[in-house]
Amino acid sequence: MDLLSFARGPALTFAMAIFVIGVLWRLIGVLSLPAWRDDSPPRKGAPPAWLSALQAILGKMIPHKTFLKEGMFTTVNGYVFHIGLAICVFAFAPHILFLKSLFGFDWPALPNGLIYAAGVITAGSLLAALVYRLANPVMKLISRGNDYISWTLTFLPVVTGLAASSHIGARYETLLALHILSICVFLIWFPFGKLMHAFLFVFSRGATGIRFGRRGAQL
Amino acid sequence: MKNVQSLGALMEERGVSRRAFLKYASYVASLMALPPAAAAAMAEGLAKARRQSVIWLSFQECTGCTESITRAHSPTLENLIFDFISLDYQEVLMAACGEAADAARHAAMADNKGKYIVVVEGSVPTKDGGIYSAIGGVSNLQMLQETVENAFAVVAVGSCASFGGIPKANPNPTGAVAISDLIGGKPLINISGCPPIPEAIVGSLSYILSFGKLPELDHLGRPKAFFGETIHDRCYRRPFYERGLFADSFDDDGARQGWCLYKVGCKGPVTYNACATLKWNGGVSFPIQSGHGCLGCSEPNFWDGGGFYRPLPTPLGATGTVLAGAAVAGAALGLGASHLARKHQKNYLAAPKSEED
Amino acid sequence: MTAKTTASGVAYDMQGDKPDLARRDAAMQTFVRDFAKTAAIHMESCVRCGMCATACQYYVTTGDPKYTPINKLKPFEQAYHRHVGPFAPLYRLLGLGSNVGIEMLQEWESLLFDACSLCGRCTLACPMGIDISELIKEARHGMYTAGLVPDRLELMDRTAKAWGSPATPADDFADIIHDAGEENDVPVNIDLPKADYVITTAPAELTEHTKALTDIAKILNKIGVSWTYSTEGFEASNIGYINGDLDLQEKMTRKMIDNALQIGAHTLILPECGHAYGAARWEAARWYGKPIPLRIIHMTEFLGELVTTGKIKLKPIGETTTFHDPCQLVRRGGVTQAPRDVLKALGLELKELEDHGSLGWCCGGGGGVVSNTRADPLRFKAFELKKKQVEDTGAEHFVTACGQCRITLTLGAKKFKWDKKVESLLELVADHLVD
Repeated sequence: MDLLSFARGPALTFAMAIFVIGVLWRLIGVLSLPAWRDDSPPRKGAPPAWLSALQAILGKMIPHKTFLKEGMFTTVNGYVFHIGLAICVFAFAPHILFLKSLFGFDWPALPNGLIYAAGVITAGSLLAALVYRLANPVMKLISRGNDYISWTLTFLPVVTGLAASSHIGARYETLLALHILSICVFLIWFPFGKLMHAFLFVFSRGATGIRFGRRGAQL
Repeated sequence: MKNVQSLGALMEERGVSRRAFLKYASYVASLMALPPAAAAAMAEGLAKARRQSVIWLSFQECTGCTESITRAHSPTLENLIFDFISLDYQEVLMAACGEAADAARHAAMADNKGKYIVVVEGSVPTKDGGIYSAIGGVSNLQMLQETVENAFAVVAVGSCASFGGIPKANPNPTGAVAISDLIGGKPLINISGCPPIPEAIVGSLSYILSFGKLPELDHLGRPKAFFGETIHDRCYRRPFYERGLFADSFDDDGARQGWCLYKVGCKGPVTYNACATLKWNGGVSFPIQSGHGCLGCSEPNFWDGGGFYRPLPTPLGATGTVLAGAAVAGAALGLGASHLARKHQKNYLAAPKSEED
Repeated sequence: MTAKTTASGVAYDMQGDKPDLARRDAAMQTFVRDFAKTAAIHMESCVRCGMCATACQYYVTTGDPKYTPINKLKPFEQAYHRHVGPFAPLYRLLGLGSNVGIEMLQEWESLLFDACSLCGRCTLACPMGIDISELIKEARHGMYTAGLVPDRLELMDRTAKAWGSPATPADDFADIIHDAGEENDVPVNIDLPKADYVITTAPAELTEHTKALTDIAKILNKIGVSWTYSTEGFEASNIGYINGDLDLQEKMTRKMIDNALQIGAHTLILPECGHAYGAARWEAARWYGKPIPLRIIHMTEFLGELVTTGKIKLKPIGETTTFHDPCQLVRRGGVTQAPRDVLKALGLELKELEDHGSLGWCCGGGGGVVSNTRADPLRFKAFELKKKQVEDTGAEHFVTACGQCRITLTLGAKKFKWDKKVESLLELVADHLVD
């Protein structure tokens, strides 16, 4: 079997299976733990829990201005590579078709030129994030292997994707296979590292939103 | 049969001018992207050459490759080819049949020992001793081995001979294999395609005749002159791919506008062939231009590539069932994990023994 | 109890005579048992973005990365992943994430108690919504069972166990109330068998700010409700809540609330204290397992209601003021508007601090930090930040609604020879009550 057929076939199926198993294992493993019931009376006029949760989930997208004094780079650069990744993943025609094969529906694609530009910007932004993590004393102290592995496995699909679409470095099929294999590794790692924040943020923000909402406190 | 007259002399006899001869050589040279000087070298080489003995074997095939090569778009040139070579055995085109045909094959093999070219069309079944395709009681496997033994070079024409083709498609009941799997060691050129473009066959043979060696080949043994680039990279609809304009289904608005066929299954990006430039039927059209996505027919295992109408990014394999099973497994592991955690919380260090690092 | 230093030069206090491994095990066991669903979700969610550091006064004023809030949780986090998380068996099997050792716990004592006031500013900064402040409060449970808390806080713990209050023996309470009543010429009620309102106190009122004891009496007498102080349940502050001593936290809460219920009160008024609010308003029901049939409100909320419903009228002061928002009352407690209503009713023009309301900087002394003298250098650094913000407003008055904040800010003012007086909302209301 050639590398591309392996990547598109058994490798991808295996990786997706591990992804599903791992995500559900981790989410359900945490969400099925018992919760302490809060019997204190909520503040009068407090919104229902679901609304407080939603307000937190959406509201925390924008940091308070006062934290941007020191947190500007983290916030702005963080948005750049997240939005860049979103564009590359969800607005590129071949990716949309891959998702369509899984979920059954698709949506219009952006022109490839914009995707490539987004890819380059994303790669640059990720590199900047790595430099910051290594150079900033706070970041350096709190970073773990998890952070560096997650960075690498996010960076590789971006650069292999750019290499494949520009046919740089090897035959196209080889580059495409490497790109797909880098996604396979990414999917396998996803549930076990900090990439899981893609799902966890809903519950983490939501829980604090509920706590603050019933107290009438601003989050 | 035996012919010691050089091709140059033969052409002159037939009234083909030196100029026409040169013109043909330039045409084939430019077709194969050879430098200008090669045209003259090719003409000289051809002029000096003896009529090359060619034995064309037909195994598990549909005869489409033979049909393709005989669809001469420029009869004069194709006839030239048939005059350059001595087609000593070709089951569709030769007048003889049965034992007489077989005798012709053996005679050609003996007379041109070490110098004849074997062209193979179709894959070779290997299961159960190869009985699934036999001619006159002789299995293809046996016929191939005995014919190729003293050949100068082997040309596998079509995807069946090059890679196994349709017979090899899942579940491959006859154990079909490519010629390359069987002839180890002999110079081999694969001219894949289902069928191949006529010029690809003709051009490659001309090259061998002129220069006495195989042209530059890719990693799959295909002549780079015809298989060096993907359909995608030469497709006239490429701008629409780049702009994100696709046909969503056949004959929809996008299809009528001539937009990219990626979404309806085109395998252009991973298919190497000359269809987008040389096209078919003398440059009239090719599948994409006629509104149908490339099947990827010049690539190995194109029949098992996921489906002609499923877009390229669709994963291969039964993902639906696997993922459903994975979901159940994940949920079970999650519930199990939280159950274990709760138990562990109660029991951890409950006995006064500490956990060493 | 002795003050010690780790091999790496970090100071810590250790109480009791448990051997090291037993301490470590006690901490680990407590850590492990502390994790329910919400804490677990949070422990899974940190993406190491570092935003929490930008919010913490101890990091911002010192630039020392070890004060990054999430870093303070390291031993707690490690216990979680190794013993409670969904992949915990894998962690143990593969030996991932080293087990927490006694040295680490000793080193982390000052991070959890000296460099954190439980102010919760980090919670507001975290893009993943992790309630770091709440988690640090939980981590303190394990530190307490290990006997690794600052000596001063442990002393207050023992005092509270002996006296029912870290400030004064219960026997002295009635006298303190009577003395205050006489000194300020205000009629006071003490130990009435039945009353609608029970008034509770915090150490600050019983020691430095005794005027507050009669200020509330004055207001309650004015509006003519039935109220009483009660020796059996006067202490509203909760050193157990701050230290991580869950047993004591429960004891102190129950004593206060059971007593109020026994008196038949419908409202329990908490003093101008921050952590009292958290312990009583938001965590008391936890001990009862059901809603408590008692209205528990903070002094500031009570005053806010009185002014907005017109039950009391105030003589306008007609000057400018700025306001320090006590963290546990405002950011963590939700009482943002009430103090502002009161300031408005006092005729004070509010010049907000650059960071005010939910985003205000902590005074630096909460969560036991002001009582923990080892933390003084850090506390003073945090104070300088507040001082600058207050000065930048140019306001004449400087008001707050928490006794500990008031003490912290006053101590800071003394250290830096700052002549700004820190005033109490309750005192201002009582002093400007229209007869």
